[in-house]
Amino acid sequence: MPDLGDRGNVNGPQPIGKVIEPPAEMFNAAARFMQALINGDTLAALAMTHEQARDQVAAIADSIKAGAYNKTEFFGKARVVKHYFVKARLIGAGPTPAVVQIRMGVEDDGAWKVREAVNLTGVKSGWTK
Amino acid sequence: MDKMIPVDRLARPEDHVLVPAERLRHARMEQGMSALGAMPYEDDFLKARMHGICAGEYQAMEAAGRTLFDFPDAPWEFQLDMARQVWDESRHAEIYTKLLEYAGSFYGEFPESEVLWSCTQAADPAARVAGINRGLEGLACDVFEQLIRLAQVMGDKVIERSIDYVLADEITHVRMGSKWMRKLCEGDPERLQRAQEFQDSIDTLFSFGGNRPRQEDVAQVKQKMNGLEFEFDARVTIAREARLQAGFTEEEIERLVKGMAKSVAY
Repeated sequence: MPDLGDRGNVNGPQPIGKVIEPPAEMFNAAARFMQALINGDTLAALAMTHEQARDQVAAIADSIKAGAYNKTEFFGKARVVKHYFVKARLIGAGPTPAVVQIRMGVEDDGAWKVREAVNLTGVKSGWTK
Repeated sequence: MDKMIPVDRLARPEDHVLVPAERLRHARMEQGMSALGAMPYEDDFLKARMHGICAGEYQAMEAAGRTLFDFPDAPWEFQLDMARQVWDESRHAEIYTKLLEYAGSFYGEFPESEVLWSCTQAADPAARVAGINRGLEGLACDVFEQLIRLAQVMGDKVIERSIDYVLADEITHVRMGSKWMRKLCEGDPERLQRAQEFQDSIDTLFSFGGNRPRQEDVAQVKQKMNGLEFEFDARVTIAREARLQAGFTEEEIERLVKGMAKSVAY
């Protein structure tokens, strides 16, 4: 966002709250998940997936050609209470990266799992092209 | 250029997360939270509520701009009012963007849904202003009034005065909507009825399953915010005074309160 101006003319200490940073473990888990997709290792990706999102992840894993990508770049995140939506680009030698959006939630055992997944390759959001 | 455009064609930075409202509800319910959005008793209430409003201000700015574009044959005074509203909403978007930073958040911290934008997609300008200006801006009166009271309880003048400033504009927008809904439908009772039905559908969508009572009827619960402990509303309430100032009748407000229990939105 652009700088919206000088805050020096506002009284009192600010900001009044702290920005909540996503846990590093969440990003580590998301990175491992994306690497599994890059490797074409569907089983590893599914092992990090909550039951409710297995079909979504399996479909995305099917659509990603093993060896086509070699790098993950996270470029977006948003929080719903303690779950995180994460947007990632899978980059390879080809001109078009794959784009995947997942929602990560922490389980009772402390493991972060994918609770939903959307293939955003070629589209802007989960709604339309 | 298409006249009715889908929500994800709104310009947003690519790092923003746009998610259908249904998925946001699922994400909240999976964590044992109310599906209706952040509630006043949640730790994140202030940030999440202001973020939702901020996104709403951007979408309201875009909606008024679309209305201006979509109906070039509407009366010149109507177009002037819509242009004024674009300018108002852009200031509100800036104010809320700054308020988010003030509260330790930022625009984009939470996902943005389509729910407000979807309420703007009416083909008739009379229905458009009924839905946006009377339905959505009426809802804004409720939400803003509650945030102002919350800021007063917290002793936070920055939030209190900023939102009061925005609320004054929203009251004007509701009045504008009432004026144009009636004027555009003069001599055409069926068109007026369709416009009112469109507004009703939006009021129903936001009635939150019977969870929006009068201020005097709402339960007070203990809350913790920025190191302060206090009691505050457990739910979003109806802003009776602000709605009266905006031109809603007592009967309309009562209908909103009673209609809440009939919602099928959730």
